[in-house]
Amino acid sequence: METRPSSRVSEPRSKRTDGDSRLPTPINTFSVTLVLFLVAAVASLPVARGSGRQLDYLGNLTGFLQRFFPPNFSDWRPLLDAMVETFQMAVLATLVATLVSIPIAVAAANNISPAPVVRLARFLLVCIRSIPGLIWALLAVAVCGANPLAGIVGLSIYSMGYLGKFFSDAFESVDKGVAEALRATGADLIQGFQYGIWPHAKPFIWSQTLWMLEYNIRSASIIGYVGAGGIGIWLHTYQELGQWDRFAAVLCCILAIVLVLDFAGERIRKQFAPE
Amino acid sequence: MLMAEIVENSPAEAHVSLHDLRVHRGDRDLVRGLNVVVPRGSFVCVVGPSGAGKTSLLSCLAGMTEPGSGTITYRCLEKCDHAPAGFQKRLGLVFQHLRLSQNASVLTNVLSGLLGDLPWWKTLFGFSRKDKVRARALLADFELESYARVPVARLSGGEKQRTAICRALIQNPEVLLADEPISNLDTRLSRDVLKRFKAETRENHRTVFCVLHDPDLVAEFADYTLRLDKLCPDAWKLDRRPA
Repeated sequence: METRPSSRVSEPRSKRTDGDSRLPTPINTFSVTLVLFLVAAVASLPVARGSGRQLDYLGNLTGFLQRFFPPNFSDWRPLLDAMVETFQMAVLATLVATLVSIPIAVAAANNISPAPVVRLARFLLVCIRSIPGLIWALLAVAVCGANPLAGIVGLSIYSMGYLGKFFSDAFESVDKGVAEALRATGADLIQGFQYGIWPHAKPFIWSQTLWMLEYNIRSASIIGYVGAGGIGIWLHTYQELGQWDRFAAVLCCILAIVLVLDFAGERIRKQFAPE
Repeated sequence: MLMAEIVENSPAEAHVSLHDLRVHRGDRDLVRGLNVVVPRGSFVCVVGPSGAGKTSLLSCLAGMTEPGSGTITYRCLEKCDHAPAGFQKRLGLVFQHLRLSQNASVLTNVLSGLLGDLPWWKTLFGFSRKDKVRARALLADFELESYARVPVARLSGGEKQRTAICRALIQNPEVLLADEPISNLDTRLSRDVLKRFKAETRENHRTVFCVLHDPDLVAEFADYTLRLDKLCPDAWKLDRRPA
């Protein structure tokens, strides 16, 4: 319970009753972790070293950014096609990941599945999450070739790691009393899950799925760097050719779609927020 | 231990038999040596102070908690004896804390009472039209028909309680176990619910175990009153309603 000590610390001393012996202690989880973090930050300072040469950082930055302006949208047609492809990859990857994650999440939820199954499923999810999405895309390119299918496969696997974890948390947060009540009058395991657990977890699951879709669109924009389709291929191409004005146009497209999704996703997720 | 207190009836008519039952919570015995035979079609009110073991007794009767010792036997319509675990599909339960699915509609919650009678593949995509008509009729009986599509989370306490009662009644249970089913209802609705329970015992020969606190309602509706004692687990008492 990390919040309790910190909330007590924030309480004015004068408001406490004399009989309250639980005086705030300077040593609590918050203060210990804060000190550890600061120590780690100080110890990490040596890594922030430059090349050793006296570079004009500000001049470099302004010089580089000047090449971005004005963004060049003359290749708008292939860019639009690539954006559509990016969106399609993200949608399909999210769909596949959601469908596969639900049974894995059931297996990983300790209020539904037996302990050995929970451990196995959680281990699988941790393994998936520990490898970055770009590496999954790289592996998928090695298997499927350099095409959007590789992007879908890579993103699907990576998303499973997160959605499986989020969904199992959603299942575990459900009061299992409803499912027990149904089971007590003869409902089987599947019915107990469908009518006792799923209605509670559904808003969380849909909300997380929409968040994952947003995330996958961002990811799908970059995995083209390793040949897995989407608008990232154009980023890579323009970077290789040093066409930074066109590179900036791609960034503007990505920014636009992410902003729209962020705005829409937030509003939609609020509609599905559990009551 | 007190002598076994047996309701005066022939064993052939027995519906629920509790033999030397010990109900406990943790290390503490709540009820000891409970010997009761309840005939089919009885309205049994379980009364006693808070902490006397009323909910724990109902939990044992529902097969959700194992009693410390003793047996619970249900006699079905086919004259076979069953332990609670084998009788679950014929038990209707109204829980003290209702245990409704808050994000599901009132109609779905009521229909979920039918799950024990249907295989999972028949309920995977919902319920039949016939079942929905039945559920809606039941909701109308309890003045909830206009809330059929409303999520339970948006209902008042009393409306939720009536939804839980509908979920139990749609099962057509042989035995209804109701834990404080009228705690959130006004006087008129409380009487309506208890009248319905009473009618179920008389017309459909169901047996009702109902935890109640209001002595006037107990006197009005109970065929038998099982009084539990908080201080002495042996001091339970079964009273037959005065004629």
